[in-house]
Parts: sequence; C-alpha cells; structure tokens
Amino acid sequence: MSLLTTSVGSFPKPPYLTKARAQHSKGELPDEGLKALEERATREWIAFQERIGIDVLVDGEQYRGDMATYFAENLGGCEVSGLVRSYGNRYYKKPVVTGELVRAGPITVDWWSWAQGLTKRPLKGMLTGPYTMMDWSFNEHYPSREDLALAFAKVLHAEARDLQRAGARVIQIDEPALSARTDELDLVVKALGAVTQGLDAKTITHTCYGNYDTVFPYFNRLPVDQLDLEMSNSGLDLLERFQREPLKKEIAFGVIDVHNHVVESKDQVRRRIEQALEIFPPGQLYIDPDCGLKTRTVEEAEAKLRVMVEATRAVKESRGIR
Amino acid sequence: MVSTTVVGSYPRIGDTSAEQRLRRAIAKFDERGISEEELRTVERSVVKEVIEEQRAAGISLPTDGEVTWNDSQSHFARHFDGIEVDGLVRYFDTNTYYRQPVIVGPIRWREPAVLDEWRFASSVREAPLKAVVTGPYTLASLAKGDGRPKREIVHEFANAIAGEVRALRAAGASHIQVDEPAITRNPADVKLLADAVATIAAERGTAWLSLFVYFGDVASALGTLTSLPIDNLGLDLVQGERTWKALASQGSDIPLTLGLIDARNTRRDDPARAARAALTLKGELPLGESYVSPSNGLEFLPRAKAREKLGLVAETARLVEAGL
Repeated sequence: MSLLTTSVGSFPKPPYLTKARAQHSKGELPDEGLKALEERATREWIAFQERIGIDVLVDGEQYRGDMATYFAENLGGCEVSGLVRSYGNRYYKKPVVTGELVRAGPITVDWWSWAQGLTKRPLKGMLTGPYTMMDWSFNEHYPSREDLALAFAKVLHAEARDLQRAGARVIQIDEPALSARTDELDLVVKALGAVTQGLDAKTITHTCYGNYDTVFPYFNRLPVDQLDLEMSNSGLDLLERFQREPLKKEIAFGVIDVHNHVVESKDQVRRRIEQALEIFPPGQLYIDPDCGLKTRTVEEAEAKLRVMVEATRAVKESRGIR
Repeated sequence: MVSTTVVGSYPRIGDTSAEQRLRRAIAKFDERGISEEELRTVERSVVKEVIEEQRAAGISLPTDGEVTWNDSQSHFARHFDGIEVDGLVRYFDTNTYYRQPVIVGPIRWREPAVLDEWRFASSVREAPLKAVVTGPYTLASLAKGDGRPKREIVHEFANAIAGEVRALRAAGASHIQVDEPAITRNPADVKLLADAVATIAAERGTAWLSLFVYFGDVASALGTLTSLPIDNLGLDLVQGERTWKALASQGSDIPLTLGLIDARNTRRDDPARAARAALTLKGELPLGESYVSPSNGLEFLPRAKAREKLGLVAETARLVEAGL
C-alpha cells in the first residue's frame, strides 16, 4: 500500500457540539451531557473518514478546544489565560505555566482507545509537541525556554509511552512553532527527541505556515519517521528544495488549503499530487490537508476531504499505484 | 521628565461580553448581518475605549491600539502598487499570522493605509496620539520577493512608507513611529535600514520621528541606530536583553523609548527592578527626555494583562523619574 491518505488532526465541531460547549462553559450542561455529544461527533467523523476511504484516521479532536490549551487543562502546574488573537477575528487561550509540570495520569489515552475501537483502520495518537507547548505558553515559573521545553518533553514522553502501550501504532507530535526562532532549532530537535526516544510506534511531526528557508536543513535531523508539511498555502515552493536536498523520511504532503472557504477542484488537487510524485516515490508519500480543518465548516471540511481522496484515487489509478 | 508610551498594538477584545463586541460585530459583518458602517461604529467605540484605557493607566503618548489591523504587513501592502497579498505565514515567534505580501512589480504608495484611522483616533483626544507605520526593512524581509536584490526592494518600500508619512504629516500628525522588528533578526543589515530611515525622515517635516526595534536585541547595530536622523529610538530590552550591555558602553545622544515591561509574558514585572535597571544608564543617555514602554505591542497578551502592563509602565516611569 502506498500513496496513503490521512488528516492532520482536527476537524470542525458540528453546530450542536459548538452550542453544547458554550452551554457547558456557562454551567448549563453537565460534563456527561457534553461528553455524550463529543462522542457522537467523534463517531460521525470516524464514520465519514471510513466512508470516503481515508487510510490513516484521526479522531478529529472534538473534545479539545485549542491544541495547546487542551494539554494545559490536564497538567498540574498549568493554568489557562484569557483570550488572545491568532489572526483576523480568531482568538484562543494560552497555557500559563505557574509551577512545576505534573502529569497526574494519561491525558489522551482514554479518548484514543475509545475512538480506535470504532474502526479497524489505524488511528493516530495526537500530541502537541514540547517546543510548541513551550513557545505558546506564558512562562511564569521555569527559568528558561529550554527548561520549560524539556519539562513539557518529559510529560509528553510519558503520554506517548502510554499511547503506545494502549496500542497506538502511529503517534503524531505537532510542532507548528518549529520555525518560530531559527536560533532554537537545536532545542526543537532535543525536545522532540526526548519525546520520541525509545518509541516503537511510527512517529510523525506536523508543522505549518513557517518560513522554511533556514529550517530546511533540520528536516532530516528531526527525530521522527514522518514529516507532515503544509504545502498548498505556500504554493508547493518547497518542492524544488526537496529535489536538491532529498528528505530521508516519509512525508505527508498538504494538498488542501485549510484557510480558504473555497473547495479545491479535483484537477487542482490532482496536479498537486502529480507534482509531489515528481520528487517523492509513492511509498514515501502520504496525502493530507495542509493543517487541521477545524476552522472550516463541517460541509467545507467534508467537501475538501472528499476531493482529496478522489484526486488521490484518480492519480493512483492512472499510475497503477496500489 | 521621563514619559510613557506604548509600542502600538493592543488587544482588541477582552474576556468580558462587552469587551467582545467587536468580535461579534466582525462575525455578523462576515455573515452580512450588519453593514460596513455599523461595523465601523463598533470598531471606533473600541478605539475610544483603548485610548481611554491608556489614559487611565497613565500613558502620555498613546496609539489607537492598531484595532483595525489584521496584521502589520498586509495592512500597508494592500495600499501599495506592485504587491499582491497571499497566504498566511507565521509572524516571528508570536503564534500569530500575517498575510504575506508578494512582490509582483515596482512597489509604489498608492493611497493612505492608516491615515483615516489616525485621524479618528486623534480626534478623540486633545493631546498627541502616535501614528505607527511598519518599516520598509521589515516589509521587505517578510514579503515574498521577485528575485530582485533586497536593497532595491527595501528602497521601494522606503519610498512607499515615506508617502504614508507625508500624508500623515500633511494631516497634522506630530508623532510618528516606524516599526522595524525584522532588524533584530539580521542586525548586519542595519545599513539597508539606515538608508530607508533617511528616505522616510526626509518626509517627516516637523513631526517627531521614532524608530522602534523589537523581538530581539540590536547590540551589534546600536551605534548606527542611535546615529539615524530620528528623534527617538525604541528598544525591546526584554527579548533584547543583550542590548543593555551595548547601551551601557556606547550610550546614546538621542532619547530612547525603553521597552522595559515584558509584553510577551503574563508574569507581573517588578517596576522597582525595571527602574533600577534603567537608572544604571543615567549619564549615558538623555534619560529625562526618554520614554518607558512595554517591550513590544501588547496585543499578544490577554486584555486584562495588557491593562496591568500599562500600569506597570507608568509606575516604572515614575520610579525612574524619582531616581534622576
């Protein structure tokens, strides 16, 4: 099996869940009521991915708010800030590290086990990486950025081991902040390595929307088996560099722009896949969206994923790829 | 007298329902539920509120909080010829984004970018309100180039920003700040930046012109920066901690804006400690004519924390003044 399709992590929450989350935050809906709806939405997304034929699934993170805050909410030594802006009219809350980080128990494992039970296809275990957790947190406790990144790495390594013990064959550790400070790339490698050390599961790191000129030489140094990259938003401009400096690991190649309401045409996505195949052999190449789809509507996300799978199928058929 | 200012941006929403009215208005506007005029009314009420928060905290030279900006790059580039605005790119290490300007031809100033915003903001206040523009070196560094040498691109952006400064000056702006965060990432390019600032300074007339560099240190470029034809140099002395040593050894003939209060962390700064650090520079620069400010724009903090930081800026300035 090659040229497999997958997703980056998050999917939009259906309106009934968005409404329920608002009610829950006001104390108008008990925890169990919210959880039942989170499970319903997760079931729907797993069924959708199976129905359209995605190969490596995600649970869609229906129970998570922000990707960093979710972990902050479940770690000792962390609080959650007020709202800050991300872009345009989008806002999020950030972790505030106020003491030593403590993981009282597994954070994502119960959800992963339950969701994996809904499908026979592999389901990714999803973690937010230690460098990104550090970079996106307000640090009121640790003396340096490195100290905080390594403290996050320690608790995330324990989480990854628990995911693996529960049966996860693929663990993704997102590092969207990877390119934030080019003078800290050695720290990214060190902290990510502290999470992936000793794991047998396939490890992936996802990153996006960075300026990759300086980061590029580090891609092969990242201690993971697969690099998941946003490519469409940046006009596939990294392809030329990959031709000159080959990637020595698998790549998940973003062919869907997640920040645009417009659904790509099948031909457009097909061309992007064909361009990727000029550089990467099908066995090294996975096809996915640029990033998590949670900022789109359910309808947009479904349409974009359908186009992605149909385009991949068309390319496979035309090239006889199995 | 040691004065107080901000770098520019301020959180446009907060955590209370009233503080989120602009968020709701933009969402309604996007769904075509309200008109552009109705959106502008809400936007302007927030600008007034932001100016009032600065006044109440004791900031003597405020800004409009850049409330209407989506980002600091496309907000200007959209008004220049020779530029198309493209996809999202991360803005330094802030976990925010900007729409990347793509250079497709000669860059020329076409129309004002911030003039109307500045006009409105300054109309709600009797004392001066600082106009802020993104600097040409940063615009050139964060844009996608067209293969031409960077010097040429910086020069064209400098002429475009000079056009904006000319328009601001003609409208009566008395205090104008040029933001150049990108130079902290590549201080070796300071000569490029110096030429660009000279182009802008030629259009300032009698306006007070400041250059603010943030998100890092400029230790190796400090001598050039303090020799520019400007009235004030703003420095991030938190992320740019290494600049302290250069300041202590080289000093400055021009007044500075000392970015002493950490605008990137919620941790409460100690004004006494910040003031003591500033006072170590007594005799090395015209401290009594300088400003105290946050280390960069406050938009990266939650609103309540940003408000707290304004108060800490004012308190630090009082302590520095007392120590002179």
